[in-house]
Amino acid sequence: MLKNYFKIFLKVAAQNKLFTFLSLFGISLTIMFVMIFSMTLSKITSGSGPENDLKQIIFCQRVKTAETHNGKRWGNGYSVASVGKKFSEDYLKKVKSADLISMYTGPSPWEFIFNGNYQKKLQNQTDAEYWKVFNYEFLEGRPYTAEEVTNGANLAVISQSLKELLFGNEKSVLGKTIHYTSMNLIVTGVVTDPPKPDQNAIGDLYFPYTLLKGYDFDDYIGNYKVAFKSRGKKFDMIRNEVQAIVSRADAADTTRAIFLSGPFTQMEKMMVGYGDPEDYSIGLSIFKYLMMALAFILLPAVNLMSLNFARIHERGEEIAVRKSFGAASGILRGQFLFENILMTISGGILGIILSYVVVGLLGNSLSMSFGFWNNVPFSFSFDFKVFAVALTACLIFGLMSGFLPAVRLSRMKPAAYLKGGEI
Amino acid sequence: MIKLENISKVYRTKEIETLALDNINCDVSEGEFVSVMGPSGCGKSTLLNIIGLLDEPDEGKIALNKELIMSYEDKKTAKMRNQLVGFIFQSFHLIKELNVYDNVELPLIYRKMPASERKQRVTEALEKVGLTNRMQHYPSQLSGGQCQRTAIARAIAGEPKIILADEPTGNLDSKIGHEVVDILAGLNDNGTTIVMVTHDEAIAKSTHRIVRLFDGRLVG
Repeated sequence: MLKNYFKIFLKVAAQNKLFTFLSLFGISLTIMFVMIFSMTLSKITSGSGPENDLKQIIFCQRVKTAETHNGKRWGNGYSVASVGKKFSEDYLKKVKSADLISMYTGPSPWEFIFNGNYQKKLQNQTDAEYWKVFNYEFLEGRPYTAEEVTNGANLAVISQSLKELLFGNEKSVLGKTIHYTSMNLIVTGVVTDPPKPDQNAIGDLYFPYTLLKGYDFDDYIGNYKVAFKSRGKKFDMIRNEVQAIVSRADAADTTRAIFLSGPFTQMEKMMVGYGDPEDYSIGLSIFKYLMMALAFILLPAVNLMSLNFARIHERGEEIAVRKSFGAASGILRGQFLFENILMTISGGILGIILSYVVVGLLGNSLSMSFGFWNNVPFSFSFDFKVFAVALTACLIFGLMSGFLPAVRLSRMKPAAYLKGGEI
Repeated sequence: MIKLENISKVYRTKEIETLALDNINCDVSEGEFVSVMGPSGCGKSTLLNIIGLLDEPDEGKIALNKELIMSYEDKKTAKMRNQLVGFIFQSFHLIKELNVYDNVELPLIYRKMPASERKQRVTEALEKVGLTNRMQHYPSQLSGGQCQRTAIARAIAGEPKIILADEPTGNLDSKIGHEVVDILAGLNDNGTTIVMVTHDEAIAKSTHRIVRLFDGRLVG
């Protein structure tokens, strides 16, 4: 029976070239976007390079404070930003259930003129644990130590690309000086450039966060991120401890209410985004993104569905004949759905191929538009999870666009199509 | 084999009601070859559709192979059509995307039947109509007579007890038309009950009995 359906599918596809083109175009484009999106998401959330332990790390990065008076909110004013230096040092870095805790500013633009040319690189101010939470590959030298950070030593770790820019082909640059704002930093180590999808551990110039005063807005809000590494993934324990610390700080401060979202895994962090730390919901975020994904697939599916509806009468004679010879409505629905799923899977395969072609050709531009800033090529390898996502999207697409037309088709009265021989 | 009791059928649109069949009572015995005649629009095709369970009467009862049709539940009628009835149409209604073999196999794919048995039945059916050398041809590559012979092979592949033929010679010249009727007569000789709509008096006379319809009523 399936062979029979398959033959019909091929013949109908070949006979209605415009319909086939429109269907495949819509499906393959959708699947291509689904693929590129899920490939990117998969790369970002699974981690690579220095972030290869990303699945063991959760992050705090947004704090909200609101004024209070006699224990009640005072007006509507509030502040939301990254975590403050004092709050990170005195509270979050004291969490006991994490194996390692690092505070760092994360990458910020560093613009300068070198040999008469404008340059844009990234600087990242970190503590010493940063080099243990993230697994950088040192080409030479070493990271700065906890003692050196505490003492505010003028040291720097630089990326290979920054080394090549500033020092050309020199074999070793350890002990060389780099001028950053008003400071002279001595190079203590050189690391390979992190791969592009890395979101947290990226930069060209790394130096101890104690060298700059920092931009703390108040005791809680500033410009730091805090990463908690737990090899046993005891994330709930860490979260409970962090929230208990926040509650204590909140209770102790009579002038402000304090809210801290997370700590979040990379995926959760991306889903919550810049949401209000006082009122976030992972469940709601998942629902929101699922709805967006569904809408993204729904639009071309509705388009294909309307094409299918428009073509129902073309199949009237065949449906009438099949009914005459014993096909029940359910079997006909199955046939039409099968054909539609074959069409969507064909479009899906085309979309998967297209996505690899597009990523191969436009990798760098894509990575720029996704917000990755350094110059390491953005390449993808085969990922079973991504493939599964694409296949699922194809099936949903096929079922959504095929079901209603299949129902209408199966309910057609055969007699009208068989009368007098004229269709 | 076929028993119709007080069968009436009305087609309704927003503006008009058309009485297609009016209180039809008719019996067709097992092994009988009956012709249905009448002017265009008198209800011949409607009668055939009702006998073949493709359409539902508004009033009356129908029994096929001694089984009274109590409900027109989709799965049940589909199964009865598949196992009991074979259709032949004036304009063949072959599926143009399928070759002769696949067209003839159609009633068999809706049965739980091994592929080898399906193959055997298709080959036998095509042998009976003399088309084994056209198995891989598509309908567009066949003459009218070959198309109708393919349609007959499809109708008999499932070995139904009843064949309903709606003007099977209508689109054929008289020589080919007589060949088709000869094939049907041969099937009837082997015990198949046949009800055939025709406008051709000579062909009708060659069958066992003629049933005449006029304005939806049996007139003879």
